[in-house]
Amino acid sequence: MVSVLIVDDHSGFRTQARRVLESEGYRVVSEAGDGEAAIAAARALRPELALVDVFLAEGEATGFELAARLAALPEPPAVILISSHDGAEFDTLARESRARGFVPKAQLSRAAIEELRP
Amino acid sequence: LKGPGRALVPIAIAGVAAGCVPLLLGLAGERADGWPLLAVLGPLVTWAFVGTGLFAWLRRPASRVGQMMVAVGFIWSVSTLTLSEDGRLFMVGFLATPLTYVALFHTLLAFPDGRLHSRLERVLVATAYVSATVVHLGVALFFDPLGGPGGLPENPLLVGDPELGETLGRARAALGTLLVAAMVVILLRRRSAAKGSQRRALLPVLATGALVAALLALWLVARVGGLTEAQRGLEDARLVVLALVPFAYLAGLLHSRVAGAAAVSELVARLGEPRHRRGGLQTVLAEALGDPSLAIAYWLPARSGYVDVDGNEVELPLERPGRVCVPVESGGARIAAILYDAELDLDAELVRAVGAAASLTLENERLDAELRAKVDQLRASRARIVESSDAARRRIERDLHDGAQQRLVSLALSLKMLESKLGGNTEAVAELAASRRELEHALAELRELGRGIHPPVLSDRGLGAVLESLAHRAPLPVELDAAPGERLPERVESTAYFVAAEALTNVARYSRASHARIGLRREDGHVVLEITDDGVGGADPAAGSGLRGLLDRVAAVDGSLEVDSPAGGGTVVRATIPCA
Repeated sequence: MVSVLIVDDHSGFRTQARRVLESEGYRVVSEAGDGEAAIAAARALRPELALVDVFLAEGEATGFELAARLAALPEPPAVILISSHDGAEFDTLARESRARGFVPKAQLSRAAIEELRP
Repeated sequence: LKGPGRALVPIAIAGVAAGCVPLLLGLAGERADGWPLLAVLGPLVTWAFVGTGLFAWLRRPASRVGQMMVAVGFIWSVSTLTLSEDGRLFMVGFLATPLTYVALFHTLLAFPDGRLHSRLERVLVATAYVSATVVHLGVALFFDPLGGPGGLPENPLLVGDPELGETLGRARAALGTLLVAAMVVILLRRRSAAKGSQRRALLPVLATGALVAALLALWLVARVGGLTEAQRGLEDARLVVLALVPFAYLAGLLHSRVAGAAAVSELVARLGEPRHRRGGLQTVLAEALGDPSLAIAYWLPARSGYVDVDGNEVELPLERPGRVCVPVESGGARIAAILYDAELDLDAELVRAVGAAASLTLENERLDAELRAKVDQLRASRARIVESSDAARRRIERDLHDGAQQRLVSLALSLKMLESKLGGNTEAVAELAASRRELEHALAELRELGRGIHPPVLSDRGLGAVLESLAHRAPLPVELDAAPGERLPERVESTAYFVAAEALTNVARYSRASHARIGLRREDGHVVLEITDDGVGGADPAAGSGLRGLLDRVAAVDGSLEVDSPAGGGTVVRATIPCA
């Protein structure tokens, strides 16, 4: 089973996303509400996949920057950006970042993820 | 007499009384030689100095010359006690005599503002005071009037050898000669250094003053040389010239008042000339009063403070060392204040007259200055309003994103879970799929709404990123030509974004363009944003509310917006926003 880290500042969404992912055969190893927690979890648990919210809480680094930091770790997870905004808004930014791609939160599914995963 | 004038009444009364001293002593005197000239001219000198001094004191409160002349008058009246036959009174007069001249020369040197102008002058005056008090007292201890010309009373202070006294007296006279000669030189140089109208006003008093000094110097030389007869004649001549000094001063004052009247009428004539420059009146007043540093402060009742011609606040207090402030009123209401250099010794009355003559123009310029101050205030408040509305929009967008949007996303995921659990119930699956589509629409509309309020990419990633996303989402090909940028001030970024968004919306709606371009560059402290299309043109900022709103929005950050849209020739919208 593919291990997953969910990074989002809304706990309600994290709970819902965990249910969806687990029902679709992923193993959610941890959830993180901010960038620091995300880096710590990724170091400790070495997940294969990280779903990272583009806009974390105000004052936090954006998902793009977090994607770059995660990608720089030894044995990095594959990063997929997620957002409740639509992808067209930051298409270029997502492409230029170290993330594999972008999935709108409402369309989170195995099919959408596997299309982007290596 | 009003306020300050009334306070001087006792001094005037004392002056009249002091002037009577030599007259009464002369009348009471039984001495054969009689000193007639001193008894007759003595009162005149006292009254002239005290009277003129009081007049100057009232006219030019900023200058100490008036007070100093009054002092000379009183010291002089004390010196006339030499007419007394009483030995003690005679010696008081004897001691005061040189002091009169030192005080007079001090006044002349301190002319016209009451202050000594150089270190040399201060040293000279201090030495003269020491010579007239300490050294002269020493002389007095050995002075034997009975040994001199007849009719003088005995010296009660006499302690020693009159021979020694004579030697001391000559030495002091020699020192006095040097001091007086130095003063004459300074006074003559002062006269040639004075400028224009000031020179004409100074001339009479400096001339008579120098003459007194010269006569005194000659007398001192005669004293050193023991030429008693010559001394008598010089004393009389000096007395006559001394009596003329205050009148010469009055003549100067009068002259400057006449010159002042001429200045006022010239000013009135010049007020009629059109003045195109801001603050032209300040220049005209500066020229009329001969003070290039002259400044006008305009009274702003709403602020209870003064502003200069540009509407900038003027610090209080207006009156400072070296600067005189004359308020100008119109119809009993304060409108302005004229500030000028105290060194110039302008007649306050003259400045008031100038102010009154210019009051109508002053009132106009005051209104101008008030307007400018208000415009500055309005500009600042408009900028604040735009900033706070931007902040409010950003907050609303964030609240939408964190609240409703997150709940709807969670709901979408929850419906998805439900779908997988429904199994073979096709009717329910179809119903659920319809609900999910509906929810997708709601989410899309909510995203659109949030982006319209304040795009999250703008606050998080800046102008370059948000323009890229604008270009990407536009329904026609949009080329972005923007220097990869550092973050700019928030109000600049949001203004530029709203201009670009509105302009692109117009391109998509009306222009029928096949291609558009967004250009963003920095140019001499400005950000220049240009949205160009190859459409039908003919856009009119006056017609639609969209472009009109942009004009206001750009103006709020002191920028400018140009729309160049010839029919059939495409449209260029160019916003230039200050960004230091």
